[in-house]
Amino acid sequence: MSVDRADGPAAAPRATAPAPASAAEDESGSLGRNVRRKEDRRLVTGHGRFVTDLELPRMRHVAFLRSPYGHARITGVDATAARDAGHRVFTGRDFAHVVLRAQSALPSYIETDQPILAHEKVCFSGEPVAAVVAKDRYRAEDGLELVAVDYEALPPTVCAWQEPREPVHPEAPDNVLLQRTFDAGSVTDAFAAADLVVERELVTNRHAGNPMECRAGVALWDAADGKLTFWNGTQVPHIVRNMIAELMGLSEGKVRVVAPDVGGGFGVKAVLYPEDVALCLMAREMPGIPLKWVEDRAEHLLAAAHARDHRYLIKAGFAADGRLLALEADVTCNVGAYSVYPWTAGIEPLMAGGLLSGPYKLDNYRCTVRGVATNTAPAGPYRGVARPASVFAMETMFDDAAARLGIDAIEIRRRNVITPEDIPYKMPSRLVDDSGHYGECLDKALDALDHPAFRAEQQRRREAGENPIGIGVALYNELTGLGRAASAGPRMPFRTGHDACTVRVNPDGRVTVISGVTSQGQGLETTMAQIVADAIGVRYDDVDVRIGDTDEALWGFGAFSSRQAVIGGGAAHNTAVAVKEKLVKLAAELIEAAEADVRVVDGEVYVVGDPKAQISVAEVARVAYLESNRLPDGIDPGLDATTFFDPIRGAFAAGAQAAAVEVDRTTGELRILKYVCVEDAGRAMHPQIVDGQIAGSVAQGLGGALFEHLVYDDAGNLSTGTLLDYLMPTSAEVPDMVIGHVSHPAANPLGVRGVGEGGTLGPNAVLAGALRDALGIEVNALPISPASVWKELHP
Amino acid sequence: MNISLSVNGERTQIDVEPRRTLADALREDCGLTGTHLGCEHGVCGACTVLVDGEPARACLMFAVQADGSSVTTVEGLEGTDGELHPLQEAFVAHHGLQCGFCTPGMLISALHLLDTEPDADRDKIREELSGNICRCTGYQGIVDAVQAAQGALAEPVTTPEASDE
Repeated sequence: MSVDRADGPAAAPRATAPAPASAAEDESGSLGRNVRRKEDRRLVTGHGRFVTDLELPRMRHVAFLRSPYGHARITGVDATAARDAGHRVFTGRDFAHVVLRAQSALPSYIETDQPILAHEKVCFSGEPVAAVVAKDRYRAEDGLELVAVDYEALPPTVCAWQEPREPVHPEAPDNVLLQRTFDAGSVTDAFAAADLVVERELVTNRHAGNPMECRAGVALWDAADGKLTFWNGTQVPHIVRNMIAELMGLSEGKVRVVAPDVGGGFGVKAVLYPEDVALCLMAREMPGIPLKWVEDRAEHLLAAAHARDHRYLIKAGFAADGRLLALEADVTCNVGAYSVYPWTAGIEPLMAGGLLSGPYKLDNYRCTVRGVATNTAPAGPYRGVARPASVFAMETMFDDAAARLGIDAIEIRRRNVITPEDIPYKMPSRLVDDSGHYGECLDKALDALDHPAFRAEQQRRREAGENPIGIGVALYNELTGLGRAASAGPRMPFRTGHDACTVRVNPDGRVTVISGVTSQGQGLETTMAQIVADAIGVRYDDVDVRIGDTDEALWGFGAFSSRQAVIGGGAAHNTAVAVKEKLVKLAAELIEAAEADVRVVDGEVYVVGDPKAQISVAEVARVAYLESNRLPDGIDPGLDATTFFDPIRGAFAAGAQAAAVEVDRTTGELRILKYVCVEDAGRAMHPQIVDGQIAGSVAQGLGGALFEHLVYDDAGNLSTGTLLDYLMPTSAEVPDMVIGHVSHPAANPLGVRGVGEGGTLGPNAVLAGALRDALGIEVNALPISPASVWKELHP
Repeated sequence: MNISLSVNGERTQIDVEPRRTLADALREDCGLTGTHLGCEHGVCGACTVLVDGEPARACLMFAVQADGSSVTTVEGLEGTDGELHPLQEAFVAHHGLQCGFCTPGMLISALHLLDTEPDADRDKIREELSGNICRCTGYQGIVDAVQAAQGALAEPVTTPEASDE
């Protein structure tokens, strides 16, 4: 990654104090440049502010007692010993009046309840049953040992495509919480006309986001004000406020949710969990005492949202020339024990069915998706939601068909992909693709890979009998920044298309941005500052950004669906433009110039044609706040604005990935020789951050493709409960990758497309395709472990 | 138990239960919350600190085991004048961090690597840092940063600890 560091924040020791305003012609601005991230100084010096770091007077610590059973009836809970030892104990009965009931208007969806602390039965291993409050975490865990719970074991079901042994919820005797069929054209006729029909059963591996900071919360009830403050490592503080207020019967103004620095999220922290609600309910029972819960990794692997446990029974019909004629699929997603709140059990199945055909032209499509409850941890959003699995399924069809039809695997994709001429293209699921730049991404990716050189090397190795290499490719479309016209969730009672932003020019001329966006590493403080600095015409260093506090920001849905650059960024831009209009109007009056001739650059106000600054933004702001006697008629005091932004539609981001992979015949291990990802991020506001998002999401995709697997045994026990068993990719496994861009501005104020998730979509398909190319091995189940490859090599 | 240790060059006496981990003692008793806990079973490396110059998992070590030791945490990297250590500077410049949660442990591991093998090549850096998991960056920016710091530290490394002697 190249670094063009032109700016340094005033706080950094090596940055000089802001220089006098540069000449008016310098209008380069900060967008598009790798300015120093505002977050970094505190994070590299150990002064980050994570929920875990919060210390408050009289603070007490919470530990949760978790079910050792995957499925069991609770026949008794005895906390006497723990209470006798001086601990405060809460059990399921204490909060039986509150349930999490994820809602969706989708026909066929069966609503079910998730208890805050289980009391009638436990539905997955790790489900919270009781909570102990003590002086420190050590003592709280001591207390857990003094709580006795009697269980009567029930038969657990862990696989979503096996007959349930005992329903998880009585409302859904077959465990199916929802089912939907997407139907377009006539697959029956199209299959009849096809020259080739490819049919496969593909199973993807349950894995999870695993942010390095586990979940954490501190809840404090102020009895005098009847107000709850909840510091929570969440991606969605406003949604949490809304839900906590509703669940606890509080007015929203009496709930403050603060998400300070959050150590990664990836979707896992976009869920409201029973532990979160329990913490708030317990705090209300213990006024004035801050209650802190910090999840450990073992708890996280057990009870934070899992994802990607899917089966695809998939069939594709092709013409002899490789054209895709029909696609039929039956997709089962293991949604775990509860319908994840508030996203519902529909989040993965509906995404899988809606985007299965990806960036390919298709008229005849029938796909039935279902979400099936099992006695496993609830499945929820994880970066790329369902698409890493569905892209793998779709690309497998092309690799398979190409081999059978004798067409090059890349050529068959070119013959089917949506092109710019097809735009707007209505997908068979009726989503409208506004991109079409897949072919361009593919060309660029193959160039960067040096495709011909690897083909030649492949041939040489074949002849020399050396370890084989294979080349894999994947194309995908990532629907980002969804406005109100499309839903980021399955017909839930809220639409997530808008965010708000407040921009204030302070009396000293510095700017404060209070944005509804949240950051778990994406650098939103930086991006929002860049946007506002450029829109107003002040220095990046003179903009401070405050995010994550619902008492400050008016509204923001938070981080999911690759939405914040588009929506939160759009809100910041539009708000800053509104502030600038007032600034220009006031400045024009003060310097007696025409508004149209006023330019604002680096915090100074110029008149076109005159290189000398006429007045500073600080002087104008001072008048706005402190010298109302100088305010012209018709201009109110203050220099700020708050606006909402909704892009209405989303912006599809095109992507292509390609890799050359060596297979070790002796061990079955894959070694990535070169990995390329090319995406259309639209306009890259901070190239380093954009590349970092892509590199990080590809790395997560590689982890899911090769290593990460949450495995339950038949008794419902998670057998990969530590990071010794659940393998996350390290610097030794993730290769240096080549990241490329095609930049087609999207139709929103900043021309940006979301970039947070696309990278995860390719690796499963790319590596499976490469393995097939190298050795003809068909990958039917993920992850692609050395053992699974070795078995294929030694049948 | 009363223990005495030198933390980032400062002599500290704290009273800890025998079962208290070094990580908790640093974070809660010394107020140095830069040392993070990512797994509490010794795999992720977020809690890595130097104990008498050697990297240690502060989550797997009891505070009492560090009695009499000299401990360096991420808070010890910055100069007394507020100047970032070249390694910190390189992490900022090369986007070697996103959420910043693994960063303290990563910096400490990298500091030790720069100290012991100042000429480590890219593969060696990747191998040596493989005991620290980062979920955000894909590692590329981290490896770039460590290489850049190697250049900046072409002069012999002075750890903050040594400079405080």
